[in-house]
Amino acid sequence: MTDRLPLPFGSRIKRDAPVRARFDGRELPALEGDTVASALVASGQWVISRSFKYHRPRGPLTMAGHDANTLVQTPAAPNRLADELPIAEYPDTTAQNVSGSLMADRNAIIDWFGRFLPVGFYYRAFYKPFGVWHWWERMIRKAAGLGVANLSATPHYQDKQYLFCDVAVVGAGPAGLSAALQAAEGGASVLLIDEQPELGGSLSYHRFAIDNEAVRSEAETLIASVASHPRIKVLTHALCNGWFTDHYLPVIQGDRMFKVRAKSCVLATGSSEQHVVFRNNDLPGVVLCSALERLLNHYAVAPQGELVVLAGNDQAWLTAFTAAEAGLSVAAVVDLRDAPEDGALLAEARARGITVHMAATVYNARRDSRSQSLCGIDIYQIDAQGEVGNLIAEYDCAVLAMSAGFMPAYQLACQAGAKLDYDDDRAAFTLTGLPAGLLVAGSVNSMDSLDAVLVDGRNAARAALRCIDMTADEDEPIICAAQVNHPWPIFPHPKGREFVDFDEDLQIKDIVNATRLGYRDVQLVKRYSTVGMGPSQGRHSALPTARLVAQATARSVSETGVTTARPPVKPEALGHIAGRRFHPHRHTAIADRHDAAGAQWMPAGLWGRPAFYGEPNHKQRCVAEEVMAVRTGVGVIDVSTLGGIELRGPDAAEFMNRFYTYGFLKQPVGRTRYAVLVSEQGVVIDDGVAARLAEDHFYATATTGGVDRVYREMLRWNAQWRLSVDIANVTAAFSAINIAGPDSRAVLESLGCSIELSAEAFPYLGCREGDVAGIPSRLMRVGFVGELGYELHVPSLFAAGLWDAIIEAGAQWHIKPFGVEAQRLLRLEKGHIIVGQDTDGMTHPGEVGLDWAMNRTKTDFVGRRSVDILAASAPIRQLVGFSLDLTAPKPLEGHLVIKDGDIVGNVTSCEISPTLNQIIGLAYAHPDDANPGDHIAIRTEGGALVQARVEALPFYDPGNARQAL
Amino acid sequence: MSLRSPLEGCGVIEGPRGLLLRDLSLARRGGVRGAGAREWLLSQGHTSPDAPNQIVASSESGFVMSLSHREFWLLQPVGEASTGRPASEAVASGVWPLYCQHSHAWLQLAGEPRAEVMAKLCGVDLSDAAFPLGSVAQTQAARVSVIMAAHQDENDQPVFSMFVDQSLARYLWEAIEDAMAEFI
Repeated sequence: MTDRLPLPFGSRIKRDAPVRARFDGRELPALEGDTVASALVASGQWVISRSFKYHRPRGPLTMAGHDANTLVQTPAAPNRLADELPIAEYPDTTAQNVSGSLMADRNAIIDWFGRFLPVGFYYRAFYKPFGVWHWWERMIRKAAGLGVANLSATPHYQDKQYLFCDVAVVGAGPAGLSAALQAAEGGASVLLIDEQPELGGSLSYHRFAIDNEAVRSEAETLIASVASHPRIKVLTHALCNGWFTDHYLPVIQGDRMFKVRAKSCVLATGSSEQHVVFRNNDLPGVVLCSALERLLNHYAVAPQGELVVLAGNDQAWLTAFTAAEAGLSVAAVVDLRDAPEDGALLAEARARGITVHMAATVYNARRDSRSQSLCGIDIYQIDAQGEVGNLIAEYDCAVLAMSAGFMPAYQLACQAGAKLDYDDDRAAFTLTGLPAGLLVAGSVNSMDSLDAVLVDGRNAARAALRCIDMTADEDEPIICAAQVNHPWPIFPHPKGREFVDFDEDLQIKDIVNATRLGYRDVQLVKRYSTVGMGPSQGRHSALPTARLVAQATARSVSETGVTTARPPVKPEALGHIAGRRFHPHRHTAIADRHDAAGAQWMPAGLWGRPAFYGEPNHKQRCVAEEVMAVRTGVGVIDVSTLGGIELRGPDAAEFMNRFYTYGFLKQPVGRTRYAVLVSEQGVVIDDGVAARLAEDHFYATATTGGVDRVYREMLRWNAQWRLSVDIANVTAAFSAINIAGPDSRAVLESLGCSIELSAEAFPYLGCREGDVAGIPSRLMRVGFVGELGYELHVPSLFAAGLWDAIIEAGAQWHIKPFGVEAQRLLRLEKGHIIVGQDTDGMTHPGEVGLDWAMNRTKTDFVGRRSVDILAASAPIRQLVGFSLDLTAPKPLEGHLVIKDGDIVGNVTSCEISPTLNQIIGLAYAHPDDANPGDHIAIRTEGGALVQARVEALPFYDPGNARQAL
Repeated sequence: MSLRSPLEGCGVIEGPRGLLLRDLSLARRGGVRGAGAREWLLSQGHTSPDAPNQIVASSESGFVMSLSHREFWLLQPVGEASTGRPASEAVASGVWPLYCQHSHAWLQLAGEPRAEVMAKLCGVDLSDAAFPLGSVAQTQAARVSVIMAAHQDENDQPVFSMFVDQSLARYLWEAIEDAMAEFI
């Protein structure tokens, strides 16, 4: 076990909880609370990954999950960040994007040929000759692979949850803590979100003053107040990955995405520390100051070897002092400036025996060939902006901590429409133009001293409360004059390798060359060079890129700006977006009876319906048996999915008369009528049966898939007509069972029926209300399948009881349940159309033989004008019945009808009829070929044309005697 | 002939902190709709909410829930559903009975974390502060239409009553059961 620093260092680790872990197959000693990266550095290994393009060795830069240098592979997924991956949960990780091993990557040779791989070389090198790109693409994609997706990994449970609050505070650093506390004290419910595992943000690792004790004490008090406040809900380890209108925030925590609805929102997202751009600034061992502070304070890891601090601000000096107190050998502080703002820092450094170099920079870093990490640096005097003079010192250091300044974590704010303006005096971007109810606080708002940050947090909370009328308090005065950004921490080297963007291996010359090729706009520079496109999303590259583009194009940094920020802020798994999948499915009240009877299910919209009963591999035989049962005996089918709409009131008949095509004013009570609905364009959109139960009461059925539309249209029309009618969708309230076949009357009679069932008393198309088997029922004599039949509509809670009674009573007639497949075949034999299957978005009544259902004696009906216009036009197609011998290839639905080489229609239904012993179907044909005895050519599977005979409809029982028995 | 709940066999689901999901689909309920529905309710001795989307205790140990200015449901959690023919004729001029006994299943969720459970399914803030007793929301849960009502049960404990198309009842039950899992 590697030694760790004593307390108070190591706030995240449990020293008495060792973890057995492996990295790249090697034993890796670790402690609970470690990340993979902290355990690796603790063991003396800086190298964690290889860079995307040149395969250069890379180590942690931020230790906060904000860079791509720590991408590793877990058994389940690639591209996980080692500096945020808890090693206790992920004890087995490996390097990725290597050929060979991490320390001996064969692809590292690409680094030697880097000069032949300039920015944009993909676009310029691999497109000639035409088509060759497809050959190159495979190679390039393989070389640029980032880990391996485990396609056999078992998906784990991921879900979503709504959260609601008055004020959402994103970021639990000092600004976020003070904002949350102020808002909660003002009476608001507060949601505090932070991606790190603890509250405090920089308070948990950063030193704010030479003597930090007072800050530490104040931080503990603040954190305790927030954690114990009853109106503050804290989400740590939670990433707010986007901002959407009205403060709708997706927040990812573990396997859950919270959908946060906040009335107002405070962004206290902090800022990203910036690196200095010099040769080999990407070597493992070169880290940001904050990364070193996190290693020390969070993980008690003291990197081995000498440390040099490269400072662009006063804060970096404090890092040096913390490191010295942790026992590191701090060789020097190299400051880019002429002098620190706080003169006490110089005295403190001298007192600690730390060498100081002012107005100097690291110009070159050297790599140890064995460890492939930093082994030394060369210090040069700065002569002018970006220019160096003489070599003034060399250090054989193993660690270089740097800080060139800070860039506001602007992503969420800019997603909300904020603008970034560059302040030349402070050499920093500031945010303006935030939408109402969205505030920024702390370092994201360019507040850098702790006192100012705390006040800024409180002020942001007050503003947030004012937006939702929860306070009228005025802001506290606030001043922050700290200068934390160096204006030009960029030092080109003749040999290059000064990295601006670590993710994409982009150097100074790559950015400058892009501008020389004409890509002057930073958005174009991004697209051409890919700067900012990596996992870091420009956190560290946006500011130096803006400066370089501004200089190269002779513009200001404000004019240059940064590229657009879009969600997500950090990469997220598709599983988080998908969440728990909700697939609503509807079951009739009899579904379990169908299961017990061996139903094979088929979807009908959200409904599940029995397709047939029996073994799946005997479908055709099962369907034929069901058909024959209906034709020769009795069958029963659950038709509860049919839509049901009740129309009650004095104007019910008038409404029906206007809405449907047929006449309903004179429809007698106790009779049903076929009800066709056409759109205002004259297209057939639904059909059903309308039963008149009383003078002021109609019960209309609609198709399974069409009832919602029909109901909606009814409400829409009556909003205009204002007739006195109550319209109710009662689809769920009534279940329906159809008993069909010559023996259906006998079965009903044996059930005990309070209605006289004889043909004379209850003729075809009649409807009655009564009790069947003691169950209140509505009965309709219908003939959809072409046999004597009764449709029983009963309140749904009775449905299962009625079904059981029918099956029991029908046993002596060998009653057989039949499914949708048999029903469709039976109705096809009878020549009945199914709206939606035999009609399409252009079908008008005349084309499908429904002219008889258009009542032209009444004043009007919905779609009447269009129907008349279409009827007066020359027909272009006609739905016809056709037949084929069983030896012919069976056409499928959708197969085309061809005439003289042109498409004139298509097959809409086609089945093998066991009753007629031939293939029968419906198809749209040319009007010239629509008479019985004509022939139509159907192009079947494989392109073969078959000549089908046009038949008179219906195919079965043309006199309709059987349904009227 | 007995009635059968669409949730027959689902039993109840219990968890800590009073968490309880139960099926009340066979409890008595009815409804009326129409321009004179409120007046008719009052004439029958019922209490009527002042505005849509409210639920109030009625004089018959049940509740009256308003879904609009002209639609009211009468709920009796401890009453048994009628096995007779549902009325379809107007109860008064322009006031029509509803078939909510058969059209909608009735689920009831009790317990301290009930709002947290539903937050995994429903986009409406159902916390006590935002959705106090007496509130009704006609919304969606788990992508299906649901009427949510906050009231007290027979033991004076706060509960959510949920009314969903009976054909979707089992689906919603399973979705809530899944959402409850982390609390059990």
